[in-house]
Amino acid sequence: MKVIAWLAGIGTLVAGGFYMVVSLNRWEWNRALFFGLIVLIAEVALATGLVLRRLTRLEYRIRRPVDPVVADALRETRPPSPDRFEWLRDATQRPNVFITFLIGGGVILSAGAWVVDRVAQKTSSPVGEQKLARQLSGISYPSGGLLVDDVTVLAQEVPGANDDQIRWLLRRAPHQ
Amino acid sequence: MTWARLGKIALAVVGLGIGVVGVLALREATLSTHEDVNARETRLVLSGETKGGEENQTLSEMVEAQVLTCRLEVESDLAGPIERLGDGRYRAVLVPALDDSNQRQFRGCLEDWVIDHVRLDVEQLDQIR
Repeated sequence: MKVIAWLAGIGTLVAGGFYMVVSLNRWEWNRALFFGLIVLIAEVALATGLVLRRLTRLEYRIRRPVDPVVADALRETRPPSPDRFEWLRDATQRPNVFITFLIGGGVILSAGAWVVDRVAQKTSSPVGEQKLARQLSGISYPSGGLLVDDVTVLAQEVPGANDDQIRWLLRRAPHQ
Repeated sequence: MTWARLGKIALAVVGLGIGVVGVLALREATLSTHEDVNARETRLVLSGETKGGEENQTLSEMVEAQVLTCRLEVESDLAGPIERLGDGRYRAVLVPALDDSNQRQFRGCLEDWVIDHVRLDVEQLDQIR
């Protein structure tokens, strides 16, 4: 039935086109217009039929149920997804590029730190040490030591001289 | 390039050529070109039939109406009335004579669907010297 319909449409299109040309050749304008209209109708009908046939095919593909056997076969033969971090996971078994870079980077960083440390040690200037010494001189012990002279001994009876902590600092005998 | 592709290209070229030639031929066939005619008049003999017309409409009226309508598309005019020959046949004379282009145009108009319920068939369209 569909074949007959398609053949009828195509035959109408061809015959209409043929008679349209013949009518034009014979100067029969009204007939040419009529057959041109027939051609146009047949063309629209055929185009609509083609579009509907394509849509029907698409609909059939969408609605057709999936064969479970085929689906299982495809599922079983599905290739494994690539493990892009496998090299990282096997790092404990064998060396690889990452470990090489890690170790190499660590070596380079250690070497750099060692060089910086050495340079810092060598560049610590004596001027700085002297400055620090001056700053520390304020809180340094007296140059003559904490041993007091006779005057100080005589001054033991001044207020505050009976302080046990001070006497201990002065290495003196407890107050009598 | 495969033979199939070459075949498709050749087929497309042939189709394009046929289309161009066809359009040019149709243009030439439908182009009105006038020329001098070595004749005095043109004699027309036609047959007509009617179908499904109104009751008070006669075939002679329809034939006369269509001939007069088509006469307006050419440069000639009717020389006298349209003679009724009987059996649905009619004869008319046009002066001056129609050249080839006008003959084709006049014949096409007479055999075309100009007036409803009537169909004319040109039997003779001859030049009279």
